[in-house]
Amino acid sequence: MNIRCAKPEDLMNMQHCNLLCLPENYQMKYYFYHGLSWPQLSYVAEDEKGKIVGYVLAKMEEDSDDDPHGHITSLAVKRSHRRLGLAQKLMDQSSRAMVECFNAKYVSLHVRKSNRAALHLYTNTLGFTINEIEPKYYADGEDAYAMKRDLNKLNATDVDSKGSNKKE
Amino acid sequence: MSPSQPLPPKENALFKRILKCYEHKQYKNGLKFAKQILTNPKFAEHGETLAMKGLTLNCLGRKEEAYEYVRRGLRNDLKSHVCWHVYGLLQRSDRKYDEAIKCYRNALKWDKDNIQILRDLSLLQIQMRDLEGYRDTRYQLFMLRPTQRASWIGFAMAYHLLKDYEMALKILEEFRKTQTKPGYDYEHSELLLYQNMVIRESGTLEEALQHLEKYEEQISDKLSVLETRAEILVQLGRLDKAEEIYRELLNRNPENLAYYQGLESTLKPVQESQRQFIFVKCSFYIIASYFLGEVFRKLVDDYMRRAIHKGIPPLFVDLRPLYTDLEKVKIIEELVLGYANMLKQKEVFSEDDNCIEKEPATALLWTYYFLAQHFDYLGHTDKALEYVNTAIEHTPTLIELFVSKARVYKHAGDIDKAVKCLDEAQSYDTADRYINSKCAKYMLRANMVKEAEKMCSKFTREGVSAMENLNEMQCMWFQTECALAYQRLGKWGDALKKCHEIDRHFSEIIEDQFDFHTYCMRKMTLRAYVGLLRLEDILRSHPFYFRAAKVAIKVYLRLHDKPLSDGESSQQINTANMAPSELKKLRNKQRKAQKRAELEKEKQNAAQEKREQHIKSRQQQDTEVDNVKEEELVPDKLAKVEDPLEQAIKFLKPLQLLAADRIETHLLAFEIYSRKNKLLLMLQSIKRAYKLNPSHPKLHSHIICFYSMVSQQTDLAESVSTVLKQEMEKVYGSKTAQQLNEEFLTQHKDSLPHLLEGARMLYFLDKSAESRVLELVTTFSKNIKGLNIETCTEVLYAIREGELGLCEEEVSKFISRCNELFPIATAFRPELQKEDENLVPQVCIAGDGGITNHVDGLTKEE
Repeated sequence: MNIRCAKPEDLMNMQHCNLLCLPENYQMKYYFYHGLSWPQLSYVAEDEKGKIVGYVLAKMEEDSDDDPHGHITSLAVKRSHRRLGLAQKLMDQSSRAMVECFNAKYVSLHVRKSNRAALHLYTNTLGFTINEIEPKYYADGEDAYAMKRDLNKLNATDVDSKGSNKKE
Repeated sequence: MSPSQPLPPKENALFKRILKCYEHKQYKNGLKFAKQILTNPKFAEHGETLAMKGLTLNCLGRKEEAYEYVRRGLRNDLKSHVCWHVYGLLQRSDRKYDEAIKCYRNALKWDKDNIQILRDLSLLQIQMRDLEGYRDTRYQLFMLRPTQRASWIGFAMAYHLLKDYEMALKILEEFRKTQTKPGYDYEHSELLLYQNMVIRESGTLEEALQHLEKYEEQISDKLSVLETRAEILVQLGRLDKAEEIYRELLNRNPENLAYYQGLESTLKPVQESQRQFIFVKCSFYIIASYFLGEVFRKLVDDYMRRAIHKGIPPLFVDLRPLYTDLEKVKIIEELVLGYANMLKQKEVFSEDDNCIEKEPATALLWTYYFLAQHFDYLGHTDKALEYVNTAIEHTPTLIELFVSKARVYKHAGDIDKAVKCLDEAQSYDTADRYINSKCAKYMLRANMVKEAEKMCSKFTREGVSAMENLNEMQCMWFQTECALAYQRLGKWGDALKKCHEIDRHFSEIIEDQFDFHTYCMRKMTLRAYVGLLRLEDILRSHPFYFRAAKVAIKVYLRLHDKPLSDGESSQQINTANMAPSELKKLRNKQRKAQKRAELEKEKQNAAQEKREQHIKSRQQQDTEVDNVKEEELVPDKLAKVEDPLEQAIKFLKPLQLLAADRIETHLLAFEIYSRKNKLLLMLQSIKRAYKLNPSHPKLHSHIICFYSMVSQQTDLAESVSTVLKQEMEKVYGSKTAQQLNEEFLTQHKDSLPHLLEGARMLYFLDKSAESRVLELVTTFSKNIKGLNIETCTEVLYAIREGELGLCEEEVSKFISRCNELFPIATAFRPELQKEDENLVPQVCIAGDGGITNHVDGLTKEE
């Protein structure tokens, strides 16, 4: 699969992939908002026909007084393409861009308490830790784990593909 | 203050408060203050107050009153820039941009340096791509506010978009000189990269390179610097340096295909054996695509063993790109069949693995799974089914196996069985939306719209119908599949509704730009912004639009050919052969269903209203733009369209503009124009299609029809007939229609889709040729191409419809013939076995992507 930074023309296809895979959906404008505010942070994985099979939609959290940090708005890989290590590769590229372009110190995300597969991926493969529980975070009333990954170790010079070649 | 209607200090203060309230979205308060002014008889006709009252009302959703007040205000004070500005804002909120621009221009007549109006005008100009107007307005803003950053940027960008690079660069460079921020600054970094983008687009690569090197330190987006440098270096022919950068890029991201292509372009032709050294680190597919023969065998063998050992389900998907090379396919097949054999006997991959550890039991499972997909891809249904069934016996609840089995059935033409498999698959993991979506998609392919909606509703918001929620979320795959299903079911109105919904999404997405015109200048993400503008210009080139437009056009053509009569609803049921008692039952049923539907609708309307109120109360500060209420799409009304061809043309126009490289665009155009008897436009469509693919089967039919149509015209203007003659000679030469058709038939004697069109035309030209016509499409030569379910369905449809002559007895003969060829396909079940008589003819609208994806055994999709 081809992994590259998302361009404006990818955003519609990312929305398509999102609608296929995840219960949390957004209108196109929200994708534009990401792509036009932080054009370096979102990545796509595409197959040989140019179809998007996975993506990460990411942003910087700008309002807080906290250290600058990134946030993963949405991450999806089609079921037909799972276990190829795509999620990790997407996340690694995005995280690196957060550090290089926006000086991010860490990256955060939310995950459904019941989503064991995702939790496993974030904890065991991607180095996230649970920061807190956000009660009733999702529209259907489910709680979320708020998770963080420290990006300090990921300073620009030593992130090469070491991280991204490692398989789950 | 308006010079023609000045207000005394007290009222003037009130008026200022109205403006403040408007800005802060406190509309109710604004109305209160307006009332205080207007109730004073002296100021009851105060233009600006009336206008502002109207604008405020508009924000509260009271559009009609709004227009009334604003117009009345304007009539009372035609020289007020406020009144004109307000009228402009009102029109803008209604998306009447051209009108709004006119209003702003009038406003500027009375207050030419009003910054706010100039800004609003510039936004509309860029939205409408009036680039010259935009440049002039940005110039004025620049002169009025030379110290503001946005003035410079907007001014430069206007020239950039007009391709006046020199001027754009002059402005940008002057502006850059004023920007000296030390250390990290994202916005400055973006500015420099934008400047570099303009330099590159101006064509001065050397300068772009120097610029990049000079400012590298100040740019935080390292990836863009590397990518841009590498591209420029390749273009300048400095390959050694470019190679170095591509290697660095690959080190950052070894999965980016463009980097490999870049790297390859920097390398002199090398020996096969040396290639290994070039690709130090990269994904398997990239290596594998470069090697052949034994080297490939070894590589792929290692790769597959590792994957099967570890249990990587998408192994086949991963290798599928290699299937363009038949030799590689053969090697893969041999290897995996070998694994299956050895794993079954000895739990190892091959004979010489005897001494090492045994493979886990899952290895055999993944091997079967791979083989099922492999054979399905190659069109060997029997083998595919055999392997997938063996795999299911091995592990009965693995979701992937049922997905795979469903795909085999879909390809083999039994969509109902496919749905059953996927329904089972999704029942094993109801929390996974991907599998849920897949199941819904198959249901739609089987025309099970209700069931599909119910399936989707497991993941849509509660309290809203799934249809509605999916529309709100712009879920276009679902809506397209729905439209196709409705089309197959003959529910023309419902199909059109879905197509229009999709069309509206595109309009909405174009509308979405609006806020970004100001936003991006503030954020300095100018490269992305230019990317957005360029994307929006061609937005309807997206395949989603193409598919929806194609359905819409076909449905409108159908409604033109056979308009629905007044009493007829768009849901047609053939009642002609029904017994009176049955008919009564049916009518009762219909009445009940209608009642139910009405109740449902009422319930939904109530819920909708409640929701809207809720939203309103929650977000008091909605922008005006969101007030636009679109006309409701009612299926029955859509189906009873008065000008179906004009409606079809509306969907066609964007295709002609943005999908001119697809032959279908011009074939559809021909069909529309032929019904309008527009000879020159028909000619244009034929010429455009001919240029793309002169031997396309459908085009051939169009050419022959056109030929006979033209020759029957007697009252053509001289100039028209000269043009037609000149242009068509390039296509026809000096041959007659019959000769052309004969030539076509000989030329394509081994291609069923061509034979079908040729036969159709043969019958069209000569009704006595019936027996030969049939022979052409029913005697398949040994090496015939295009003998697949889709084409055979089309042939069957043509025979049934009498397009190939009257030959009813041929129908069952042809069906049993196809049944032998495609035993699983439901379209060719012998009459007696049909489970539901009504469904079969609907399947026959072939060629719309419904039934099958096979093209000579190779699948197009998935």
